[in-house]
Parts: sequence; structure tokens; C-alpha cells
Amino acid sequence: MLGIPVLLAIILVLVTSSFLLILQRNTGRLIPNAKTANKNREPTFVIAGPSYSGKTCLYNLLTMDKLRNTVMSQEPSVTHSFKLPGSPAVRLMEFPGHLKLRGKLLTELKNSTNIKGLIYVIDSTVDPKELTKTAEFLFQIIQLTEREKNGVDILLACNKSDSFAARQPLKIKSVLETEIEKIIQRKRNSLDTVSGSLNRTNEGEDKEESEWDNMELFESANGFRFEVLEGNVDAFEGSVSKRNIGKWDCWIRERAVN
Amino acid sequence: MFEQFCIFTPQGDVIYQFNCAGKKFLESQINRFLSQYITSPAPNEETYKKYNLLSVSGGLSGPGVQGPRGFSAMFHISKQPELYYVVTYAEQSLQLNEEAAEILRLSISLWNSLNVNEEIVRNLSGRGSKNEHNFTDVVDGLDKDIETFDKYLKVKYEEFMGKFDVKNTELAEASLRKKAINSKGKKKSTGGGQKGRRWGRDGTMEETGSSDASGLDFSEAGSASSSNIALVDKDALGNRTKDGEFLIKEIDDLLTSQTDITKSTVQVGNVNSAFGFLKKHLLGNKTITESDLTSVLDKLRQKLMTKNVAPEAADFLAQKVSRDLVGSKTANWTSVENTARESLTRALTQILTPGVSVDLLHEIQRKTSKKDSDGKKNPYVFSVVGVNGVGKSTNLSKLAFWLLQNNFNVLIVACDTFRSGAVEQLRVHVENLAQLTDESHVRGSKNKRGKSGNDHVELFEAGYGGSDLVTKIAKQAIKYAKDQNFDIVLMDTAGRRHNDPTLMSPLKSFAEQANPDKIIMVGEALVGTDSVQQAKNFNNAFGKVRNLDFFIVSKCDTVGDMLGTMVNMVYATGIPILFVGVGQTYTDLRTLSVKWAVDILMS
Repeated sequence: MLGIPVLLAIILVLVTSSFLLILQRNTGRLIPNAKTANKNREPTFVIAGPSYSGKTCLYNLLTMDKLRNTVMSQEPSVTHSFKLPGSPAVRLMEFPGHLKLRGKLLTELKNSTNIKGLIYVIDSTVDPKELTKTAEFLFQIIQLTEREKNGVDILLACNKSDSFAARQPLKIKSVLETEIEKIIQRKRNSLDTVSGSLNRTNEGEDKEESEWDNMELFESANGFRFEVLEGNVDAFEGSVSKRNIGKWDCWIRERAVN
Repeated sequence: MFEQFCIFTPQGDVIYQFNCAGKKFLESQINRFLSQYITSPAPNEETYKKYNLLSVSGGLSGPGVQGPRGFSAMFHISKQPELYYVVTYAEQSLQLNEEAAEILRLSISLWNSLNVNEEIVRNLSGRGSKNEHNFTDVVDGLDKDIETFDKYLKVKYEEFMGKFDVKNTELAEASLRKKAINSKGKKKSTGGGQKGRRWGRDGTMEETGSSDASGLDFSEAGSASSSNIALVDKDALGNRTKDGEFLIKEIDDLLTSQTDITKSTVQVGNVNSAFGFLKKHLLGNKTITESDLTSVLDKLRQKLMTKNVAPEAADFLAQKVSRDLVGSKTANWTSVENTARESLTRALTQILTPGVSVDLLHEIQRKTSKKDSDGKKNPYVFSVVGVNGVGKSTNLSKLAFWLLQNNFNVLIVACDTFRSGAVEQLRVHVENLAQLTDESHVRGSKNKRGKSGNDHVELFEAGYGGSDLVTKIAKQAIKYAKDQNFDIVLMDTAGRRHNDPTLMSPLKSFAEQANPDKIIMVGEALVGTDSVQQAKNFNNAFGKVRNLDFFIVSKCDTVGDMLGTMVNMVYATGIPILFVGVGQTYTDLRTLSVKWAVDILMS
């Protein structure tokens, strides 16, 4: 019978190949450069920003049309196929603002290829002199979003505009520009980030993740300007607690439709 | 009385809140608790009756501004769904701890018995009813349950407080009665022989017969009337709280029935284990249980320990992974092991990520740009501490080189007045640095102020001596730096063994007197498990008000991939690592990249 050896061979091949696949799954380095690219193609809106700026409240207002007491988030919130009346369904994500918990946002920005817009919530009552941290976080985000071909549109949502101490959105935007310019200067002067293996050369050492490699991109003749970015950056005021988020709503709808 | 109690999700939605004083609920207090909880060092050993404790320190009170006061918090984190139960109260005392623990116990059992959890899990997984935004509220359809919870909790709490009061008053009454009996006894024993005396208002004394003593004894009638009052009181109490008592009974029934249920549905047992094996290793989409993880976690723990991670830190990380994963589902075609690895990577990243942003150049610029009334600026002061031989002076000079490159003027201060040759060693470094910044510098020459070095970098020295000399030098150096317009003061201190109190105690007064802007601890990557203790002891040496600011981990080039020391130090203190030393030359100081460290640890 000729069939049996052929059948056996086929089975053998199948078994070994599946075995290899499993092994590769479990160790992740049998086949080089086979990193599972878990790119997410779902149209997404991201809410981010520093702590206490009102991200979770905005999220609640968008998703439930009501406000609830919130405390500092530790986990991101996600709504799949979130619908604003009269616009297609998108994914809405809200990330914690605490320094230690920003990793999740950054990985999400790396892995999602279809971010329709990023809503960067800012507490507009903060003294412009104290906006350094806010600018730093924004800069971190921009570095990732600008990797995409067309960048990501960013809305600087200047929250708490009902307060008497609130600053104008344009003012905040220009302060952020100068702060980011200073940050770029400082990053250039700081010590290099450690990278690569220290005393032995690892095979396939890739420097793709070098954090500050595309800083030159942001340079223009007179310092950093949001205009040089691929994505548009708009700044609008609003107030979550007074349910006055019309401008942001429009901004989101515009981008959800496209 | 405790202050606030609340239940919230990790997403930040407050599900239930209760201010004991009846005031407006203050989220800011919970936020302060949370930010401390997130940044606090990993091991939270402080517990009371299996609940975690965390003391939140008061805010910094500036001149004329009263910072927010500190408080204590007791909390419990439930799984499935993940919910935080937090009670805050003024300070840790036996009574308040007891009360907080009781509130937590009550609320958790009530919460469970009302079957709210299942609803929440359903809502969180998106299976609940959706509104027009396609969104499911966490507490959708639970308003009633939460109301009942609120009512029940308050009743039970009152009952508990009542018991507490009754206990107290009973004690007080008992002691009073004892006293009364004693005094009565005294009266009886003394009444026989002596004559009663009655004192007039004007001070005259009137002798009376012993038989009159009964006239003075009001105790009989008094006690009878008081007990009458008590009886009446009790009746009134009973009438008033009949409703409450009825409720309490209802709640108690609820609670006992709940425990029965949990007992009866303990575990069903492992059916179709063969299929389970496939799911575990191959197919994925499996709900992870504790038993699935044990072997995987053991493996990961072993691996971490081979990379020099201390056993306690490895245990903590393993615990974190198991808390993260138990009850969750693996993705399709992913084994439990891979899922655990991913979770461990996340845990490591989180532990190594700094909780405060440290932008040294920004801070230096900010401080040195401010001028006081004389037009002088205050220098930015660093001080470097560490165990003997870890490379304090070397890393200090590396730091100085970087700062010099950024056009700052640097004063290097020899505060190591103990080890012979320490000052000379620093002088060599200063000569090198002077030569590097200015090629025309002649070694051994003095600058215009008559000191070693040149205009940009200079050595401040005052010979050798005891520990009081150290603080003196430090203060003098800062003053000198201010007068001579230096931007930065770098203080080298003597190396000291971290478990010797006589060597460690001078650090406290040094930190108070010199008050450096940044205290840096240098730790070597070689040290291994002892790094946990080193970091802890050095961090505690500066007293309660001062901490280390960041670490420099030196000699990273000598350990290959065994970078566990980094994890240990951050795990023990929660203080970030800013720089790593990766070689012998002045340029071999690098900013730490968390991703780099995690990748090496996980490889």
C-alpha cells in the first residue's frame, strides 16, 4: 500500500509544524521578527491628560449624559462601539493620568493604528507657570502619535472654564508650545538613555524604540509650534461640571464621521 | 467615629459614599489616599485584622498656609469585580481601628449578600442593558440595591456604635457602683464609733449624735430613683428603635443565609481536565484559576531570582500577577504561561516607573534663576550617600561632568572627612574635570580664589575630622557657593555600613543642617539581595520628614543581565532610579530606560 507512508508523512509534518508553532507562541523567540503585531484597527477616541483634570467625569458625561462622583482612576475605561447620536460607532477609551499609570496609554498609542482623535483634558485653572508637567505629558503623547503617517488630531480640552481663574484656551496653547520647546532643549542636554546590552552584543539588537529620535522633526525656525505636527491641534474651552462641552462634542463628531 | 467610607471601581467611579459626620463627601481625601497608595513602596505590610492600612501623611504646610492634615485609611480590595472599599479616619488608635475594621467587615458582607457583585460584573463585561450611547453603566439597575445597602449599613453601624457605647457606659456604671459600695462600707464601719459632724456654712461645727448619720445617707433613695430613670430610658429606646431592631434582624438573616450559600457552593471540582490541559497550553480562552498559576508563577519567580531579584520582591511580583490574572480569561491561542509573562512585564514596568517626574535641569534652572534681595542666587545642592565602595565619588564626578557640559558652575565639597585619601581622590577628579572643561588648565595649579580647580569647577575642602565637622563643612560650602556665584554644590559623604546605627545617625542631622535639594543614594548593581535592606535603611536614616530623592545604580556593566538590584531598591522604597552607571569614564552615566531594564529582566 502506497497510501500509508504518505499519510504518515503528512501527519508527521502537521504534528511538527504545529509543535513548532506552539513552541514559538510560548517562547516568542524561535522565529525571529515574528512578533505578533497586535495592531488595533478599531476607530478610537482617546481621553487622556494629567490627574484631576476631569477625564473620568468627561467620560461619564459622554457615555451616560450624567455626572457622578469620581476618584483617581487606576485602570482605563473602555466603551466599544460607542455612539454619539448621528455618527458612526467608535471605541472610546479613557486613561488614568497618574505618572505611574501612564504605561497603558503609551502602549495603546503604539498599538492602535486608527486613532481618530485624542482629547487631552487640561485643568485651565492651573497657573500657566505650573504647566510644565502637563506639557511634558503632552510631549510624550505627541512623540508617539506623530509616528503615524498623518499623525493624530489632538483636542486640548480646557476644562473648568466656568471657574473665574480659568485661562483662555489660546493662552494655554501658546504656553504649552513654549514649555514643549524648553523640554526639547532640556532633553537634548540630558544624559543619554541607556540602551542595548551593556557588555555583550545581543543578536538582532534593535534601536527602534529610542525615545527621542524624532525630536528634530518638531523643530522649526522659531521654536516648537503645534503647526509643524502632522495632526491638527485645537484648543477649546468647556466645562464638564456645567455640562458645557458643545465645542468638544462638535470636534468629536467631525472626526468620527471622517 | 470614622470620617468617610466609600466603595469605588479602579476606573474611578464612586459607587457608594458615606460621610460619617453628615458633611459633603470629599473626594480629595480619597484622591490623596490613592495617590499615596499608587506611589507608596510595594510592600504594604501594615494590616489590621486582614485589612490593609495606610497612613497618609499631611501635606506640606508652607509659610502661612496650613497644609492638609494627615489621616489614616483602612482598605480592602475585592476581586471579581475589582472594587476598593476604603475607610478613612483621623488617626490610628485601637478604637478607631476596631471601628474601621468593623465597617469594612460589615460592608463587604452586606455587599456580597445583596448580590450586587454579579450585577456589576455583568455590567462591566458589557452584557447589561445599553443606553443610546451603547454604554453600560457600572451600577445600572442597582440604585435600589445601593439604597438598601446604605440603609442597612447605617443601621448596622449605629447598632455597632450603640454596643460600643453600652459597653463603655456599663463599664462606667460598674465602676461607679463599686465606688458607692466602697464608700458605703466605709461609712458603716466608721459610723458606729464617731459622732457625726455637720459643718455650717459659716464654718461653725455642730456635733450631732451617731443616729443622725442616716440623715446623711441619701444613697438608697438616690440609687432607686436612678435605676427608675434607667428603666424608663430603656423602654423609650426599645420603642424608638423597634423599627431599627426589626431591620437588624432582617439584615442578620440576610448575612447568615449568605454564608450558607457560600459554604454550599465552594467548588464543584475539575471536570473535563483533558480539555482544560489543551486550553491551558494551547487553545487559550481559558478562565485562569489559582491552581493554574502556581507552577507558572514558581517558574517566573525562580527566573527573577536568578536575575538577582530578592525573594521578597519576587514574591510580591508573583502575587501581583496572580491578583491580576485570577478570574480573567486568556486570549485565543495563548497559553497561561505567556499571559503570566505579559502580566509580569506590566508589573515590572509599573514598579520601575517613577511616581514623580524628575527633570533635574528644569529644577536647577528654576532654583538658580531666582535671586534674593542681594542679587545672589541660591545654589542647587546635591548630596550623595551610600555604602562603602559603591562608587559615590565616581558617580558624583560623572554627574559633575554632565552638569559642567550644561554650563553650570560646580562646587565639589569633600564631606568625607573620615577615610584617609578621600579628599585627595576628589582633588584628582576636580583636576580631571577642570582639564576637560578647559584645555589650558595646568594640573595642580590654583584658580583665582586659591583653590584647586578652575573657574567652573572647584574643590571645597577642610581636612579630616569627626562627624560634627561634616555639617560645618556643608554649611560653609553652601555659603561659599552662594557668595562665589556657583550654580551647583555636590557633596560627597563618607561611605557607611547601612546596619550600623552609630554611622547612620549623623545622616539625619546632616540632612537637617545642610538641607540638600536632592539626596542621591548610590547603590551598586552587584550587591544582590542586601539592596532591599540598604535602600530601606538609608531611606529611613533621614528621619520622617526627609526621604531619599533618587537612586543611581552603579556598575551595571559588571552584572550582565542580572539587574535585579534595581527592582529590589525601588520595591523597598518606592523611590525612582534616575541614572545608571555603565562604565569607567566620565561619560558613562545614563538615564534609566524602564523598557530597557524590563526587557533585560524578562529575557
